[in-house]
Amino acid sequence: MSRPNDRLIAIDGVNGNAMTAAAKSRIAAEKKRRVGISYWDASGIFGEVVVAEDSAGRPSARTLLLLYAADLAFRLRWEIKPALDEGLVVVAVPYVDTAVAFGRAAGLDPNWLTEMFSFAPKPGERKLVTAPAALSISDRKGFVEFGCQQITGSHSGPPRRLLMRRTGAHLRTTQPRKRESK
Amino acid sequence: MSASTHSLRALSLRARSHFGDTTRRRGLLVAFEGPDGSGKTTQRKLFKTWLKAEGYDVVTTKWNSSDLIKPIIKSRKAVRALSPEEFSLLHAADFRHRVEHKILPALWSGQLVIADRFLFTGLARDCARGLDLDWVLKLYQPLLWPDIVFYFSVSPGTSSKRVSATRTPNYYEAGQDVTQIEDPTVSYERFITRVIREYESLAVIFNFITVDAEQSIGEQHHAIRKLFRDCEQRAWSDSNADAVAEWLMMRGGAA
Repeated sequence: MSRPNDRLIAIDGVNGNAMTAAAKSRIAAEKKRRVGISYWDASGIFGEVVVAEDSAGRPSARTLLLLYAADLAFRLRWEIKPALDEGLVVVAVPYVDTAVAFGRAAGLDPNWLTEMFSFAPKPGERKLVTAPAALSISDRKGFVEFGCQQITGSHSGPPRRLLMRRTGAHLRTTQPRKRESK
Repeated sequence: MSASTHSLRALSLRARSHFGDTTRRRGLLVAFEGPDGSGKTTQRKLFKTWLKAEGYDVVTTKWNSSDLIKPIIKSRKAVRALSPEEFSLLHAADFRHRVEHKILPALWSGQLVIADRFLFTGLARDCARGLDLDWVLKLYQPLLWPDIVFYFSVSPGTSSKRVSATRTPNYYEAGQDVTQIEDPTVSYERFITRVIREYESLAVIFNFITVDAEQSIGEQHHAIRKLFRDCEQRAWSDSNADAVAEWLMMRGGAA
């Protein structure tokens, strides 16, 4: 990664709704600067995963993270970098840390994760939303909530709640930063 | 040591034991690699027919063919919406999904898997698009090495001639996303030269068995049969243990 971009703000966590609320709150706090926002699945990749036939097979954590990286590359190209180039502050919800924590919770090699995401510029500000994952399916709007549901849906991988908790724990322990609870 | 590390080690041992059992025919993975127009698909079909006649239980897997990821790639290619990184990541995802859902299950059950293009296609094309080899190779980890890689070697001129004789190369096949050349045929000639250069480096690094694809179809087929017979008794590559262990873990330890 290159040196941090001061106008790039990453909001990470496991609860999608809480992260969205944190992003809106962060944007509202910007009084003088113009702000853009970039959510996961801007590319629509995961929307297509959801509608795939069951016979296509469920993605593993590794496959989901390759897709997340593809989606992030899309967000960087079409949303984040153009907005930064125009001088805007950009809030990315979520960014790299959420994906790395999810991968670590699923047992993937941390080096593999960090090297895969090495194309992403380092944010100047990182916020961790500590709210736990939503229990209700209709409230699950985050990547971690989606990912846990995908990989534990059909076979005996780590139970969903344990995987969500582990992801949250990795985010808390590996990311020394200012925390923002919901 | 974490529980997952401990489990992965136990599953690696299980993988070694399963594939190292010499009392039965183990699963074999044979990859056919080479540029478009090298005739590898023709050879793959002939090889499969011959193997079946020899009593092998054969499964074929093609590049970019997973039921889950292929539609995602196809729709983005259609609107020319992929950057080199997105192109690379999506093909790696497609590959991983096929490894987990098609290739490893078949190998575990003792089948012979013929891969019409393997991860080397991703490496050659992505590096020809300017991406870093180490980064691209990382995307395909944990690596699954074929028992045999047949590389069908042709010159850029032959590849271009054979492809343009049957069709106009599509936008990404012609590398127009990186060459910025409007004419697909001209772009293809430029791009395939880069791809072949990358393939030839990979052939040295990864010990491909090179087949002279300028030879006749019959000569190539007989050479492949002989090369296969020479190689099929090779011991299972221990470096595949991590990939198999991760797959076993994903399935809760049950194959």
